[in-house]
Amino acid sequence: MAKSGKKFSKHAVTRQGDAPRKTLSRRSVVKAVGVAGGAAALGFPAPFVNAAQKEIRFLNGEPTVESVRAMKFAAAQYEKETGVKVQMDTVPVGKAFEKLQTGIKAGRPYDIGTLFFIGDVVLLASEGQLAPLNEIIEQYEWGPRILFPIDGNYYWYPYDYNLCWINYRRDLYDKHGLKEPANWTELMENMAALKGEGDDMTENGILHPISSSSATNYFSFGYMWAEGGQVFDDNWNVVLDQGDVKKSVISYLDYFNDLTDLMPTGIAQAEWGVGLRGFRSGQLSHAPGTGRAIDVIRTTDEEMAQKIGIFPFPSSDGKQVAVNHGYDGWVVLDTPQTEEAMKFMKWFSDEHLINFLHTSAVHYQPARMDIYEDPRWLAHPALEQYSHITSWQKRFLTDPDVVIASIDSAGPVADLRSAKVFRSYALPEMLQNKILKGMDSSEAVDVAANKIRDVVSGG
Amino acid sequence: MGGDRTIYGLFFFGLALTAVVIVYPAVYAIELSFQNAQSFISEPEWVGFDNYVRVLQDAEFWNALWRGIVFAGTAILLQIVLGIGFAMLLDAAIPFKRAFRGIAILPYLLPTLIVALTFRWMLNDPIGVITVAMQDLGFGTVDWFGSPTLAMGIVITISVWIWTPFVTVAILAGLQSVPESLYEAAKVDGASAWQRFWHVTIPQLGPVLTVVVLLRAIWMFNKFDIVWLMTGGGPLQATEHLPILAYRKAFQSYDVSTGATVSTISFLILAVAVLIYFRMFPLDTKD
Repeated sequence: MAKSGKKFSKHAVTRQGDAPRKTLSRRSVVKAVGVAGGAAALGFPAPFVNAAQKEIRFLNGEPTVESVRAMKFAAAQYEKETGVKVQMDTVPVGKAFEKLQTGIKAGRPYDIGTLFFIGDVVLLASEGQLAPLNEIIEQYEWGPRILFPIDGNYYWYPYDYNLCWINYRRDLYDKHGLKEPANWTELMENMAALKGEGDDMTENGILHPISSSSATNYFSFGYMWAEGGQVFDDNWNVVLDQGDVKKSVISYLDYFNDLTDLMPTGIAQAEWGVGLRGFRSGQLSHAPGTGRAIDVIRTTDEEMAQKIGIFPFPSSDGKQVAVNHGYDGWVVLDTPQTEEAMKFMKWFSDEHLINFLHTSAVHYQPARMDIYEDPRWLAHPALEQYSHITSWQKRFLTDPDVVIASIDSAGPVADLRSAKVFRSYALPEMLQNKILKGMDSSEAVDVAANKIRDVVSGG
Repeated sequence: MGGDRTIYGLFFFGLALTAVVIVYPAVYAIELSFQNAQSFISEPEWVGFDNYVRVLQDAEFWNALWRGIVFAGTAILLQIVLGIGFAMLLDAAIPFKRAFRGIAILPYLLPTLIVALTFRWMLNDPIGVITVAMQDLGFGTVDWFGSPTLAMGIVITISVWIWTPFVTVAILAGLQSVPESLYEAAKVDGASAWQRFWHVTIPQLGPVLTVVVLLRAIWMFNKFDIVWLMTGGGPLQATEHLPILAYRKAFQSYDVSTGATVSTISFLILAVAVLIYFRMFPLDTKD
């Protein structure tokens, strides 16, 4: 390129030297003024406009109508109060990280973004793309295992917990005189008692997906966490196939295998929402899920929603229970507008977060503990109406016997290693080896542990 | 002179467009395969051929390659055989020939996403129409996506269903150019229907078949959408071929470099296969 550039200049100089000198005509003056005007029009407006009104760009990853409306309302309010425009863009669930990366790569990063996976936060932070939110975070009291600090800094503002528990048909439990199960045996007995034909019975007990998918990672390992299953120890050693942990995982696999007798076929292709549909249509008496299920059902079928109860995943002996970890949050990117973005976050956190949480009142379980006492939050009628659910939700965070664990958050701190294990689907494959191939549980655990070691070592 | 300018203008526009949307991404992907980068925004580190050595030593890669060959090979074979059969049928004197020709192309016109969703519903348990039909026929409840062999069979079958019409139409067009006199001469020589098909039709369709097989091979080997939408590469990675492996590495496993390396190797394999194919079946036989 440089070579051809030089050639061109030389040629141009020679031609200029040979050309006769021109006089200044009216046309050339008009042309020059036109060119200068055009250049000015292209060059000057950007800084001028920026000076006139500051703008921060917010990538919203919660696409429901109510959530988008709440975010846009907040943006409009903020502009009214401060004069700073908040450009609110919304992407489908799961597409926010891609969009954030694209913005960074294109040289026009978003100032604030929504993320649902802690691995994405770790990656962006390690690349120096995020600004720490320490000042804002330290002002509030937070629930357990939600802040995911990285090297002593808080790089995200978690707005909710998306814990996964077991939904059950409260009405059928009442009719059959069943009580919430305390251990694996009781859970299976309850499912078996409700399985059958006719009114007040369901075709199957529960549906846990086993496909290589995020849905399986999220919906199918609660029993394992309750039983004491672990992926890593505090030094990032893979302990899935070690000592007592291996025994727990084997017990879990054997139990899961027994549980498949109470599941419909098609668990190898089941994805998000399949269990919920089966539950809602009366085919299942239980379904793993989150508050989203309650909110979705209550908007269309209030009566059905009232029939739903929840409990955590039990362990075999009932000594411990677990919920699968889930979370959502916002990050502030390191951009020229970071300072403005931080101001907005602070304002939003104090003034509008609760409005936003109310857009899916049961699902958006607050990550900030102070909100549970805030009269503004408590004022939402659904929280009282579904107190049998929301009281459990709070207990999940405060009861020391409740384990909050997940594959993506496994290990001593937030790290890409656990994120990679999540995306390798090593644990769903462990289930597939057991259920579809009939592999011995011990061997299935060994295969999974070896794959995890391979993934962690970069293989 | 004005016409020349237009032609050159269009040519350079096309060239620029190709450079931007094809050459640049391809070169970028190849560049990434020589680097170590977790994501597209990572600061890449030059690692030479390390990624290639690692990928070529990985059993996951070879398994995915083999699955791709099984998937593409079986699908192409079935598409060609069925495509020729349907083309012959639609070329024959059958009633409502035009209507049937129109209907035959329909699967090819449907968006892949629609096809995938439709088949997923039809195979769904417990309400899928095919699942219920199998139950009624006494086969019990078939767990279509729970068996590695069945899952591979399903993606091959659906691929054949969608893309056979392309082969049918191409062969049908080729059949129109076969001179009737050749068949008449063969008949005079006492050739049977099978002999006429094998010794007249197939050789006359040679150039069309060469192109069709080539295009189908390239498309099927790189086919991502239908497999991803139907099985996501599962169960137990039974349908995970090279395009899915590359996608999973690049976009799900924080390993853009390995994804790019798998893609580049896949491209090289295909390029070599195409070269060998052209040596065996040259398109230009005029000389």
